Amino acid sequence: MNTMFFIMTVSSLILVTIVSPDSAFSIMISGASAAISLAVRLCAIYAIWLSVLDIMQKIGMNRALDKLFSPVTKRLFKGESEETRQYITLNFSANLLGMGSAATPLGIKAMECMQDGSEKATDNMILFMVINATSIQLLPATIIGLRAQYGSSSASDIILPSLIATLISTVCGVILAKAFSAGSKSKKKEEPNLPEPLKGAAFK
Amino acid sequence: MSKYILPVFIIVVLIIGSIKRVGVYDSFVEGSRQSVKLVLEIFPYICAVLIAVELFSLSGLNAYFSRFLAPLFNLLGIPEELCELVVIRPLSGNGSIAILENIYKTYGADSYVARCGSVIVGASETVFYIATVYFSTTKVRKLRYAIPISLFSCYLGAVVACLLCRFI
Repeated sequence: MNTMFFIMTVSSLILVTIVSPDSAFSIMISGASAAISLAVRLCAIYAIWLSVLDIMQKIGMNRALDKLFSPVTKRLFKGESEETRQYITLNFSANLLGMGSAATPLGIKAMECMQDGSEKATDNMILFMVINATSIQLLPATIIGLRAQYGSSSASDIILPSLIATLISTVCGVILAKAFSAGSKSKKKEEPNLPEPLKGAAFK
Repeated sequence: MSKYILPVFIIVVLIIGSIKRVGVYDSFVEGSRQSVKLVLEIFPYICAVLIAVELFSLSGLNAYFSRFLAPLFNLLGIPEELCELVVIRPLSGNGSIAILENIYKTYGADSYVARCGSVIVGASETVFYIATVYFSTTKVRKLRYAIPISLFSCYLGAVVACLLCRFI
């Protein structure tokens, strides 16, 4: 992350300094202001969702949801506690329904539960991040609304291709994450049975 | 129909809560307190990332970078017009929506390019934002193979999206 941040900011700054040196500082400030307005908006959304979550926890709704999804989550995230699985289930449900901003605080809580105190991310944490990063949204409502607004005659005809694309990317992500975790485990045991073709593919 | 799901869900939670004698007001106070704490904790990460993203897109480096990658994207079946969108998508959600709106304006919302762009944005996430925010409250600093896998999968999704839009 440090290297990437450095390369991105320094090369952009050099370009700005050559093209229009006056705007360099104002661009950075507009980035920081965007962060402040985003944070204020997020704070409002999180306040509502964390409150609803608090009630859900007290009435045992989390446990009911966990029972429903545990056949999947238990298999995907081996060795995690029931509390962690509950957060994971809630995060996935919010994501499926397209409520990304409601999913974020749940995802953060799930990550907190999964950490083992070391600086390295565990295999389960990576799997969880990959599933979130490849999007599991069922209905891209924002995009459909936007298309309709710009005069599309059939704004919702992107639903099927989106669903297939997101399914493929998520399945690919899960398979790669599982393959890598199997790979790093077998390296520790000095049994080099890495799935080579998959490993190479990720860095192409 | 779907617009009723959210309010009805919250009403149901509130009613069951009060039947089970949960202090609903206390829960909202607690939730809001947690929200402030959480946002304070993730704000530094959001701020740093957004400064870099703003520099990247407003300096014009994004456009150069996209032009440089265009031949590669063309080879994979992603139209040239979408290169900038594909590059900015994992970095910034608002940025990619702005570019998508531009595409709608320039090529029309029903064109092949616009449909491809819609599917690419609809079927992926801001990978770097998730990577920084999700790990922000943990001690984890080494993400190992998380970002390469996520990016590769998202780009595979984009390639598939462009292919699908030709047929569906």
